[in-house]
Amino acid sequence: MTRRIDKAAVIGSGIMGGGIAALLADAGVETLLLDIVPFNLTDEEKKDPKARNRIVQTGFDNLMKAKPALVMDKANTARIKLGNLEDDFKKLADCDLIIEVVVENLKIKQELFGKIDKIRKPTAIITTNTSGLPLQEISKGLSKEFKAHFMGTHFFNPVRYMHLLELIPGAETKKEILEFLADFGEKRLGKGIVWAKDTPNFIGNRIGVYSIVDILPTMKEMGMSFTEVDAVFGPAMGRPKTAVFKLSDMVGLDTLDHLAVNSYELLPKDERREAYKVPDWFKKMIENKWFGDKTKQGFYKKERSPEGKRVTLVLNPDTMEYVPADKPSFPCLDAAKAAKSVPEKIKAIVYGDDKAAKFAWKVTAAGCIYAANRVPEIADSIVDIDNAMVWGYNNEFGPFGTWDAIGVEKSVKRMEKEGMKIPKNVQKMLDSGAKSFYKSEKGKDYYYDLVKGGYKEIKRSESAILLKNCKEIKSNASASLIDLGDGVFNFEFHTKMNAINGEIVDFIPTALEYVSKNGIGLVIGNQAGGMPGAFSAGGDLAFMGSLAKDGKFTVINDFIAKVHDSIQALRYANFPVVAAPYGMTLGGGCEVCLGSDRILAHTETYMGMVEIGAGLLPGGLGMLNLWRKVLANIPSSIKITDLGGFFLPCFMAVAQAQVGMGAFDLKKKGFLGPNDRIIFNRDLQIGEAKKEVQKMVDEGYAPPKHDPILVMGQEVHGMVWAEMNNMKGGGYITPHMEFIAKKIAFVMSGGDIIQGTMIPEEQWMRQEREAFVELWKTENTQKMAAHILATGKPLMI
Amino acid sequence: MREAYIVSAVRTPGCRRGKGAFNQTRPEDLLAQALAGAADRINLDKALVEDVMTGCAFPEAEQGINLSRIAVLMAGYPITTCGATVNRFCSSGLEGIALEAMKIKAGWAEIAMGAGCESMSIVPMGGNLPRPHPDWAKKNPDVYISMGITAENVASRYNISREDQDKFGYESQMKASKAQKEKLYTEIIPTTATRFVMQADGTYKKETFVQDFDDGVRADTSLEGLGKLRPAFKAGGSVTAGNSSQTTDGAAATIVASEDACKKYNLKPLARIVAYAVAGCEPDEMGVGPKYAIPKVLQLAGMTLDQMDLIELNEAFASQSLHCIRELKLTDRMDIINVHGGACALGHPLGCTGAKLMATLVANLHRYNKKFGLESMCIGGGMGAAMIIEKM
Repeated sequence: MTRRIDKAAVIGSGIMGGGIAALLADAGVETLLLDIVPFNLTDEEKKDPKARNRIVQTGFDNLMKAKPALVMDKANTARIKLGNLEDDFKKLADCDLIIEVVVENLKIKQELFGKIDKIRKPTAIITTNTSGLPLQEISKGLSKEFKAHFMGTHFFNPVRYMHLLELIPGAETKKEILEFLADFGEKRLGKGIVWAKDTPNFIGNRIGVYSIVDILPTMKEMGMSFTEVDAVFGPAMGRPKTAVFKLSDMVGLDTLDHLAVNSYELLPKDERREAYKVPDWFKKMIENKWFGDKTKQGFYKKERSPEGKRVTLVLNPDTMEYVPADKPSFPCLDAAKAAKSVPEKIKAIVYGDDKAAKFAWKVTAAGCIYAANRVPEIADSIVDIDNAMVWGYNNEFGPFGTWDAIGVEKSVKRMEKEGMKIPKNVQKMLDSGAKSFYKSEKGKDYYYDLVKGGYKEIKRSESAILLKNCKEIKSNASASLIDLGDGVFNFEFHTKMNAINGEIVDFIPTALEYVSKNGIGLVIGNQAGGMPGAFSAGGDLAFMGSLAKDGKFTVINDFIAKVHDSIQALRYANFPVVAAPYGMTLGGGCEVCLGSDRILAHTETYMGMVEIGAGLLPGGLGMLNLWRKVLANIPSSIKITDLGGFFLPCFMAVAQAQVGMGAFDLKKKGFLGPNDRIIFNRDLQIGEAKKEVQKMVDEGYAPPKHDPILVMGQEVHGMVWAEMNNMKGGGYITPHMEFIAKKIAFVMSGGDIIQGTMIPEEQWMRQEREAFVELWKTENTQKMAAHILATGKPLMI
Repeated sequence: MREAYIVSAVRTPGCRRGKGAFNQTRPEDLLAQALAGAADRINLDKALVEDVMTGCAFPEAEQGINLSRIAVLMAGYPITTCGATVNRFCSSGLEGIALEAMKIKAGWAEIAMGAGCESMSIVPMGGNLPRPHPDWAKKNPDVYISMGITAENVASRYNISREDQDKFGYESQMKASKAQKEKLYTEIIPTTATRFVMQADGTYKKETFVQDFDDGVRADTSLEGLGKLRPAFKAGGSVTAGNSSQTTDGAAATIVASEDACKKYNLKPLARIVAYAVAGCEPDEMGVGPKYAIPKVLQLAGMTLDQMDLIELNEAFASQSLHCIRELKLTDRMDIINVHGGACALGHPLGCTGAKLMATLVANLHRYNKKFGLESMCIGGGMGAAMIIEKM
C-alpha cells in the first residue's frame, strides 16, 4: 500500500493548532480543524450549529487575522473544514493523519485518544503536539495498533516560519510510520526534522528553557539587567535580535513558566533541577498575568509618550515597576561588532574582560555543559540538539556549534579552572584526540558521536545539497561558480546581503561561458543564513551613487549596458537557468530571477522591484521580463485594447515598489508564472533546482528566441499621467516619486509609440538605460539613494 | 416658439453601487422599466412617443451600443419610437430632457421622452477602458481629474469646513429618512431587479424581486459617526464618503409634449419647461459649475432667484453644494433646497441623476403646491447646468 496524506485533522484550534492546519492547507492537504463545543451554551444555542462551532470558528478567524500572516495564501484555507468534537467526531475516521493540539492536560488527551482509538481507520497516523507530556503516559491503555501508529510531532510557533519539527517516536511506533512522517514533514511541510526522545520538553524546549531560566539567578548574582542581557545575547552571540527576554515575551511567559514547572516536576534526576525553580519575582509576573506580548506587558512594555512617541519600558524586578529601557554598551560588544564572522563575534564576547563578557562566559559555559550532559538522555546525536536550537530558536549555532566556536580545549581548561564539572563524554572526546564536535572533510560533514565515540558523517536528504561542500570552479570576491555534479553548476553570490555589484555582473559571462562548454545548466542560488535571509537585497547603490556624485554618467550608462547584456545572456544561454530565491529578493535580485528561464522559489520569498524607494527605476530588465512573463501567459488572440488590465498591475508593482509576501503572493502578482515552482523546504532548494535543470534538459530545452516586445505605448501615458495628477492632488505622491513613476511608465510602455507595436529589445534597453541615467543626473535621486543607504528607509521627496 | 410640457416624470429607486439591490441588474432593465413606467403611469399609448434621449455618463459595455434604443424596444415601445444616448457626464439625464423639449418647442416633435440611466455597479465610474489622450494628459491632466479631488479643491479654495460638509451630509440623510418614512417619494416606480442567488446545493440561480425604495438612506446617521470617517480622496482632506454623493444604480424618465399633443391626447401638463442653460468653469473645480449656470438660466428666463420656490441642487459633494449655495446667497433659504434629501442620502447615479431629480422636482412642486422649480447639476470636466420649470 502506498501511504499518502489525503486528509488530515488537527484537533485544537489555538494559535498552534491553527498554524498547523494552515500549513497543511498551504501544502495542499484537505484538513479538518476541530475544537470543543463551548461549555456555556444556552439551551437554544445547543441546537445551533454556529454556536456549537464558535470556538473553532474563533480559532480560524484568529488564524486569518494573525500578523505576521500564518496562512501563506488565504485561498488555500478553503481546504480547511471546521467542526466540533461532538458533531464531527466521526469525520476523523476518514483522516490519514490526526494531529492532537489540545490543552496540555494528560487526562483530556488520554480520553480523546481513547475515543479516536475506536474510530480511526487502520492506516491512520495519530500524533500529539504536546510540548512536554510523556508519550508513554498519553498512550497508556490504548490498543496495540494505535500505539504502532502513534508518535509525537512537535511544531514550533509560529508554525509557518519556524523551521523545526521535532519527531518523537513512541515506544511501539512502526518504523515505516516514522520514516513516512519524517519525509512528509521535510518535503511537503518544509520542516527541518529533529529526532527527539520521549523525555520532558523534548530537545528544543529542554535546552531552550534551560538557557533562559539559568540566566535569571546568574544575572542577579552578576548585576546584569534585562537590557544588558539582551544586548549581549543578541546577534553578537549568534542569537536572534529578540535575544532572551524579548523572545520570552514573544513566546509567552505563561508558556515558559509551564515548561519550567514541567521540567522541575518531571526531571528529579536533572543535575540542574534547581534552575527550573524560577525566582519569586518571575512567579509574581505570572500571578499578575504579565505574560509578555499577548498581554501587552512582560519583561518589556511598549507605551506612547505624551508626545505620541513610542517608548519601550523594561521591568525592574526589584520594584516590579517599569522604567525606560536603556541601550547598554560594553567593550566586548564593540569588539564583537568589529569581528567579521559569528564565531569570531562569540569569541570576542566570551573571552572579553568586562562584566558582560564574564556573564556571557558563565552562561555559555553552563549551557554547553548542560547540553553535553543531555546526551544520550534527550538525543543520541549532538546534531539533533544543535539543529533544534538553530531551527526552533533561530540561533546561529546550537550549544555544540557554539562550543566549537569558542574552542573546546581552550574553554574546557577555563571551565576546569573555574571549578565547573566537565561532562564525561566531552572529556572522553578530548582524551581521544578529537578537538571539535564537528569537522568537514572532502565535501562531507562529520559530528562527534558522544555516545559511541568517533566521528560520524551527518546524513542529509539527497536534495539537501550544501554549497559549502561542493567544489568551487571559479570565483571572485563577490561570486562563485560551484559544481553541483551531473553537469549542473551553481552561481553563488556572497556579498553583504548578497547585493549585486560590478563583480557579480562581471562574473556572469565568465560563468555562462564555462557552463556552456562544460555543463548542461545553471542554478542561481545561495545559502546565506538568517530568517528569512536574503537571496539578494538589491543592487550596490553606493557604487553608483559615487559615480553620480562625480558626474560619471557615461560610466553609469556603460554599466547598465553591461547589466543588460548579462541579463540577456542568462535568458538566451543555450542551457537552462533556474533561479532559487528565498527571503529578501529585491531590486537586482528580483531582476536576475525574472531573467532566468524558471524560478524555484522558497515559500518565504519576498520579491519585488523596490528601486523607486531609492530614487531609481529597475535597470536590469526586470520590468521587461515581468511584462514578458505576464504576456507569455495570455493567449495571443487577446486584443491589445484588453491588455491594459494586464499592464496596470505590472506597472503598479514597480511604481509602488510592491513586494510579494511569499511565493503564493508572487504568483498572484505575476512574478511567478505557471512554469515556476514553489518549494517549502529551503534546505532542499538547491538540490531541487538542480533536478529542475536536469528535467528541463531531458525535456529538450531550447533557449527562447529574440522576439520583439508587444507594448501598450502612448495609451499608457494618457492613463498614467492622468492618474498621477489625481495622486498628486490627493497628496499621495511626492514630486520626485511622480517623476520616477512616469519614467517607469514610459519605459514599461515601450516609449513614444502607438499601442500594439512590437518594438525591438534594443529599443526597450536603450530607453531603460536612458531613463536610469537621467534619474541619476537629478539631485533628488542622488539624495534619495544616499538617504536609503544611510537609513534603510526611502526619502519621500 | 411653442411651449414644452412635462406630462410624466418617474424614477426607479436609487440603489447602492456594489452592495445595493440593483448590483446585478442590467442597466437596460432599469432603463426599460423607467421608460415603460413613465408612459404607463399616464396611460399613454407608447406608439405616440417619437423619440427617447437617454443620458448616460459612461455609455460603454453594458451601457453601450446605444442603450437608449435597446431599452426603448425592451420597454415595449414600437419600432417607430427612436432612441439616442447623450453624454454630458452628470447632467446627461437633464440634457436628454432639454434636447427633447427643444425639439417640441421647435415643432420637430409632438411627444418625446428625456431619460437617464447609470449602473455604476456594472460600468465603473471612469469606464472600463479609460484612455486619456497621451499628449493632452501631459499638458492638461486636469480635464481627466478625479471628481473627489475637485471637491477637495473647492473645499480648500473656498474654505468649506469639514464640519459644515458633515452637517450638510447629515441633514441630507435626515431629510431623506423622514421623506422615506412618510412615503413621500411618489415619483418612484417599483422596479423588478435581478439577482443570482446561491442555492442550498451551492449552485447559482437567477431570481427576480421588486425594489421600491432607495436603499442608501441611513436614518441612523450621526454627526459623530460622520466625523469619524477618513478622507476618501486626499491625505488630510475633508471630503469623505459621508459628505459626498453615494455611487448608485438607477434610471429615470420624463415625457415631454407639445400643447397640441396635450390637447389632442388629453394629457395633463404637470409642468412647463421654462429655460435651460449650461456654463463652463475650471475642470479642477467642476463643482462650482451651478454658480454660473443658475444665473445664466435665470437671465435667459428673465427671472430672479427669489422667484424660485423649490430647488433640486445635486449634491455631488457637500463642499461644492455649500459653495454654490453660499455664492448664490441661498443660505437662508435652505428649506427650499433638496426638501426630500439629496445625493448624499439618495445617491447619484451619474448620467441618470439629471432625469431623476426632475422626477423628484415635478412631484414636489405638486405635493407642496409651489410654482417655480429649479434643478441644477455640476458636471465633470468643468461645467454646470440648470433648468427652470413652472408647475401647471
